[in-house]
Amino acid sequence: MKMNTDKDWLSRRAELEDGCFVSVGGLVESLAEREQTATNVVPMKPAFVRFVQLARRDRRLSLEDFAEKVDVDLAELVKIETEEHYKPTLRTVHMIAEFLKVPEKTLLALAGLLQAKDPQFQKAALKFAARSAPVEKLSQQEHSDLEEIVRLLCEQ
Amino acid sequence: MRVPVELFDYATKEPVEGELFDEVTVEHFLETQRDWRPAVIEAAKAMLKSGAPRVNVPRHFHWDWSTKEADLRVLAFSFFGITCRGKLQGIMKLETAGRSSRLPEHKGKPLIYIDYLETAPWNIKTLVEALGKGPQFGAVGTRLIEAAVRRSLEEGFKGRLALHSLSTSEQFYLEKCGMMGVGRDSAKQDLLWCEFTPEQAEIFLGEGGGAA
Repeated sequence: MKMNTDKDWLSRRAELEDGCFVSVGGLVESLAEREQTATNVVPMKPAFVRFVQLARRDRRLSLEDFAEKVDVDLAELVKIETEEHYKPTLRTVHMIAEFLKVPEKTLLALAGLLQAKDPQFQKAALKFAARSAPVEKLSQQEHSDLEEIVRLLCEQ
Repeated sequence: MRVPVELFDYATKEPVEGELFDEVTVEHFLETQRDWRPAVIEAAKAMLKSGAPRVNVPRHFHWDWSTKEADLRVLAFSFFGITCRGKLQGIMKLETAGRSSRLPEHKGKPLIYIDYLETAPWNIKTLVEALGKGPQFGAVGTRLIEAAVRRSLEEGFKGRLALHSLSTSEQFYLEKCGMMGVGRDSAKQDLLWCEFTPEQAEIFLGEGGGAA
């Protein structure tokens, strides 16, 4: 790359620029957008994980049986339930929604694959996730929680 | 790539030798931002205290780049930089693929997109004057734009170039560089999409600029 070596051109251009702001905003806005998306999406994920766990256990299904009945990959189901940052595939969420008879779009939002726009829904989902406690069999409270989240999903 | 480039020294009113290079790493970038940020914050505070219009205060003066390190690494890019007297005077990041013209007569034609460009705070008049000083080096932004236009020529894009200008920089790109304001982009906080046609890029490079 050969740059302009004309000193008059440089002086003219320096005078025109005159130490003004020259900042360009594309990258900053892209990064801000990523941050905003992450803020909106990530907190919903624990609610999705808990919902899948409770729904499976409520049906007394092992991970293998649930994967078979829903027709999803067992390895992915294990990742969904055990890996905090794992992002489920669209197909898996679609199959789970179909099997559990909840609206696909709201389950996608819960899984972090769609942006949830209703703050009330986000708040309720986070509240649901926050009550997470690993036990072998569903307690009466968990059973109520599960009914509550199913009702919430269906109301959206 | 490392090429000599002259900047304008405000102290002597004479050209001063600098160097343009394209090997600024993420580490170097973050280090530079850590170096620049205190001066930007200090100047912005002084401006706000003196009652300067908010529109003149740098929009992202509070921006902490160190928290964006992971994202910067994911983007896996390299920057252009200009050094002079041992310090980085300006940085620019280019996207050389996947961007095209938004001008009706050039619609779909590939161009170089500048998604980041910034000069050191001690070269920005409004900032240093808020602290009672004068700017050090002139034409830093111009040189970076020149490098982007030349890169466009090298890529066979005939000088076509675009960027999203911050509001404080619009006058520079529209009136001083001669770019066209194509429209506000709702996906980018209504920042103005500015573009160089091949003809405007050639005019910008000037005589002896080798735009042909």
